[in-house]
Amino acid sequence: AIVKHLLCIVRLHQGGRYNDDFDDGEDIAEFDDNDFAEFEDVSEDPAVDVEKEPPPRAAPSSTPIEDDEDEATVENEDGQDEFEDADAQDQDMYSKYDNEEFEGYEKTNPSFKNTLIYREVPAHLQNSWESYYMEILMVTGLLAYIMNYIIGKNKNSRLAQAWFNSHRELLESNFALVGDDGTSKEATSTGKLNQENEHIYNLWCSGRVCCEGMLIQLKFLKRQDLLNVLARMMRPACDQVQVKVTLNDEDMDTFVFAVGSRKAMARLQKEMQDLSEFCGDKPKSGAKYGVPESLSILSEMGEVTDGVMDNKMVHYLTSHAEKIESIHFSDQFSGPKVMQEEGQPLKLPETKKTLLFTFNVPGMGNTSPKDMDSLLPLMNMVIYSIDKVRKLRLNREGKQKADRNRARVEENFLKQTHTQRQEAAQTRREEKKRAEKERIMNEEDPDRQRRLEEAAQRREQKKLEKKQMKMKQIKVKAM
Amino acid sequence: MTVNNMADPRRPNKIFRYKPPNTETNPTLEDPTPDYMNLLGMIFSMCGLMLKLKWCAWIAVYCSFISFANSRSSEDTKQMMSSFIISDISSTQRNPQM
Repeated sequence: AIVKHLLCIVRLHQGGRYNDDFDDGEDIAEFDDNDFAEFEDVSEDPAVDVEKEPPPRAAPSSTPIEDDEDEATVENEDGQDEFEDADAQDQDMYSKYDNEEFEGYEKTNPSFKNTLIYREVPAHLQNSWESYYMEILMVTGLLAYIMNYIIGKNKNSRLAQAWFNSHRELLESNFALVGDDGTSKEATSTGKLNQENEHIYNLWCSGRVCCEGMLIQLKFLKRQDLLNVLARMMRPACDQVQVKVTLNDEDMDTFVFAVGSRKAMARLQKEMQDLSEFCGDKPKSGAKYGVPESLSILSEMGEVTDGVMDNKMVHYLTSHAEKIESIHFSDQFSGPKVMQEEGQPLKLPETKKTLLFTFNVPGMGNTSPKDMDSLLPLMNMVIYSIDKVRKLRLNREGKQKADRNRARVEENFLKQTHTQRQEAAQTRREEKKRAEKERIMNEEDPDRQRRLEEAAQRREQKKLEKKQMKMKQIKVKAM
Repeated sequence: MTVNNMADPRRPNKIFRYKPPNTETNPTLEDPTPDYMNLLGMIFSMCGLMLKLKWCAWIAVYCSFISFANSRSSEDTKQMMSSFIISDISSTQRNPQM
């Protein structure tokens, strides 16, 4: 029975193939005759048997075929046509083969009626949940991501609000303008944070003695991004509060100073333009000045360190050492070193007198709104620093040193860019000449053309003469 | 030491307006994540559409979600929505072989 059904399958496939080639019934009959010529010798008796047997056999055999057809129509739309046509031919072909194949199995005829083979329907044709496991998995992942987004966003928002609530009073008593997004026509306090992102909040304060303004950035962890949350499980990080105070020229004397955790100092010395230029020495341990060992100091000169590290400052630093990432005072602040593609930049970067504070929020990521209160003393330190820097003046020696340092840095810079600037000047001159020539060519009037040309020639001559004069003068001086 | 002991440090006449930091001069301050994720999302959704790979389309959906979560508020939401929709459409295609 199994062999018969295997043959059935084979014929179904074959039938599909021959379907296109042989549309006529006659052709099929011919084909059969030629192919199975060996069966032609068979006597008529089996033929009689064949006539009787195909009907009963056709009946049971047709039911599996019908089942197949049913299944085929329901599940496999594409193959349906193939199967149908194949079946039509198969009925004819069946009667020719069956008796030869199953001569010995006539006794087991009745059993054919009962045996039905249920074939497994391929997975992608089923209409059950299992076939969609990939989709379900993906959608679950997406839902988890969305849930995390909402939860993270809310947590960051609550932390920001808690910070602002605890600091509001201090800020409002020190600054005339608390909160500004730059868009409103009049400078009125908005009294709230600017939300730049789901994890970054800004606050601009201005209107105070001793400074131009203060920008506070609450840089929270990306709690709204599930990828980031997972990454943080490998590598812990913490929220940061960054305070940047910009000063007017008269608010600060010329010095560069930084104090912070050892790692941060090492990093800043490499990254920051001004620290790398003015504070060449390795960071000194804070223990020399009475602060914990974990902090180190970068300074332009010893006098500056002594001036900044007074008792109050030391007290602040000692009691909050773990929250301080870095504190950076500089009159030459221009941000991190900018990597230029074509060598050095042609102009010195713009500098601004700045005090830059970076604080770590305690909790290492698992912060609660209550932790924000612990940052309040640090804000007090910021205010104190602003007033202090205003009063801190270098003595004569220190000032001279500082001026020399700055001149040195500028000179170095100019030297490095000398060749570049020369080239740039050269190209500019050539451009000018070309432009003039073009102008002369474009002049319609031949008269004017001639006159312009002469004028240009005269100018060239004058330049040459000047140069020669200069060379002569230099030679005379050298002698 | 309370503020009351000192004179009021506030000076309303010395107010400066807020200027958003210029990110062109400081490229290090910008976070490139949303832009990368946007690009990846586009690429994967095109791949998924052309090559009829369902997993590509799903990754594209994830990329667009991540890009959206990391984006800056000043950015145009329209572009984000468009990449969102493209990856969503390509992922919901019923492919017979998958």
